[in-house]
Amino acid sequence: MSAMRVDAKVVMLGKESVGKTSLVERYVHHRFLVGPYQNTIGAAFVAKPIQVGEKVITLGIWDTAGSERYEAMSRIYYRGARAAIVCYDLTDSSSFQRARFWVMELQNCEEHCKIYLCATKNDLVEGDRSLRQIDYHDAQDFAEEIGAQHFETSSKTGNNVDELFQKVAEDYNSTAFQYMTAEETGVDLGQKKDSYFYSCCHNN
Amino acid sequence: MDGVAQRGAASWENGTLAPVDRLRTERADSPTPGLVEGTEPGAGQKSAMFIHAQSFEDLTAAAEQEVGREAELDQPGECGEDLKVLVGEQAIEEQHNSDIASESRPKEEDVSSETWRSHRKHVFVLSEAGKPIYSRYGTEEALSSTMGVMMALVSFVEAEKNIIRSIHADGCKVVFLAKSPLVLVGVYRTCQSDKELLRELQYIYYQIVSLLTLTQLNHIFKHKQNYDLRRLLAGSEYLTDNLLHRLDRDPGLLLSAVTCLPLASSARDVVSSSLQAAKSKSLVFSILLAGDCLVTLVRKKDQFLHHIDLHLVFNLVGSSSSFREGEGWTPICLPKFNTAGFFHAHISYLEPASKLCLILVSTDREDFFNMSDCKQRFLERLNKRSAYQALKEAVKCPSYSVEQVGIPELRHFLYKSKSSGLYTSPEFPAVYQSDEEQERLMGLYQDLHSHLHHPTRPLRSFYRCSETENLLAWVTSGFELYLCFSPLGTKALAVSAVNKLLKWIRKEEDRLFILSPLTY
Repeated sequence: MSAMRVDAKVVMLGKESVGKTSLVERYVHHRFLVGPYQNTIGAAFVAKPIQVGEKVITLGIWDTAGSERYEAMSRIYYRGARAAIVCYDLTDSSSFQRARFWVMELQNCEEHCKIYLCATKNDLVEGDRSLRQIDYHDAQDFAEEIGAQHFETSSKTGNNVDELFQKVAEDYNSTAFQYMTAEETGVDLGQKKDSYFYSCCHNN
Repeated sequence: MDGVAQRGAASWENGTLAPVDRLRTERADSPTPGLVEGTEPGAGQKSAMFIHAQSFEDLTAAAEQEVGREAELDQPGECGEDLKVLVGEQAIEEQHNSDIASESRPKEEDVSSETWRSHRKHVFVLSEAGKPIYSRYGTEEALSSTMGVMMALVSFVEAEKNIIRSIHADGCKVVFLAKSPLVLVGVYRTCQSDKELLRELQYIYYQIVSLLTLTQLNHIFKHKQNYDLRRLLAGSEYLTDNLLHRLDRDPGLLLSAVTCLPLASSARDVVSSSLQAAKSKSLVFSILLAGDCLVTLVRKKDQFLHHIDLHLVFNLVGSSSSFREGEGWTPICLPKFNTAGFFHAHISYLEPASKLCLILVSTDREDFFNMSDCKQRFLERLNKRSAYQALKEAVKCPSYSVEQVGIPELRHFLYKSKSSGLYTSPEFPAVYQSDEEQERLMGLYQDLHSHLHHPTRPLRSFYRCSETENLLAWVTSGFELYLCFSPLGTKALAVSAVNKLLKWIRKEEDRLFILSPLTY
């Protein structure tokens, strides 16, 4: 970790080809690459500093591959993540099912990870309303049910993308303080516990 | 991960795949070619980087052993009717350029159309249950009955305790490779030998294994015979497409060798030692690529990389823009090293628009930040040296023109040093500028190669005149050489050119080859 200081680990999850990479690309490099679809291999990591109030917070963003092939690996990417951006494609109802799967997975394995439900390809839906397969209110209801923030974004136009990551950083900033105090006592207890068990094992 | 290491070491010690170290010290100072392995131009000074082998014999050796007890199906016979589906009846003359990979896949193609049938090379992968896994052209769904027929052919011959190897029909060959739990079938309209075609299918097999590991493949099909493997391979089709494209164009895959970026040895040594210094406990291989050329490779002591594995890495990096977005971290199986497990590769470009790509292969999947740190250390060290500037300059002109050799009639050549597993080749001259012409020349080299490596009657040298060019191929225990001359040249001239060329390579070997590979 010495090479770069990362404050918060953020993981992108979602079905393949929903546009996770495009979202990161838009946010980090302010561009949208037109061309044949290229799936992510494994995962890609980018560190991005972001201004929150007077502080600079560095987000370490893990852009994971959506392919099922890498599903077994996904744990290493979301373990310890402070935020997960679970993406679905507004024009593909199966991607929303996949998003539900990821939410379940996170709720079971990473309870401290804050979930952001992110709809992609909003520009397509704005161009042709009939393409929309996921109702805004259905998604909103689901987001409220799981206590997640909900965004509809377009990486092509950049709509709502910066807002999404800004929110991630702000939420991190406002909760970081609570965690820090909580962790301090937590570590103390843990150490006692550890040394207790250690000596116990030794005596056996 | 100790298991992995031990396995690698074991295969190195059993002798068959081990590089030859003898004579390395007696490296000839004379510029005349060393005809003995280890003294030829380009041979490494310390020890080889690769588990190298008697070129592609190693690749097909397993299949060869079975030859004895197999009946080759030369006559279509009863199967002829079914085959019409695959090959079409009349030979179609028109040449189809293999489409440039990574552009949109012609998946929508109608599989009953003449254009579909007339593709020069079809490759199909299916499961032993006959389920389609991959087709180079057309959608797999549309081909399920065709693949069913293929599987029927395989099982029919198997029932008689035989193995189907190939079917030769009018102007067309169907080659089978059964690699449980997969079956690979190639349908070709080329004059390449079965052995060459089998080698290509092997590559495709290894490509699939590199994504999933053989252990996982076996596990899946053991539990569910009719599993649809496309689910797991989704999004990787373009890797296979690209590999097939490379097989037609990349001399490295033909020669079972890798080419290096021409670079002054002083600069290369600095790059190598910087890479060597940026080590970590779990790091097994550090590979620096410039496009399709190797800049340097540092490996853990006693661990060797096989050229096939390296070509799979080249293909992975070269096919995808995914690693330009950030630091890539992906599981990868190197099937020639170990088919059972994944390595984890940290893949990143040195600079955003640079062609220089660094691949750090680690045994630990949790080690991303360690690898990231290794890269930073390497970059910091490199940035302080002038060698980095020399490297960047070298990347701008990654090849050389054949005129530098100073043999007027010589148009192009491939030279492989057997002991180092490295080859060198100039850029294509003006007469071979178009893609079609380059592929045609590669086809001619492939033809020469198959004569030199014929399973029963291998040739040591081969000279061929034609209207468009004269070709000479020569193999010794130290090197393989393929030369292309203008059609006006004579045989005497070609033979004398060999010595001149070898002297030139000897003179330039510091720049063209990696003579002193490093270990951590």
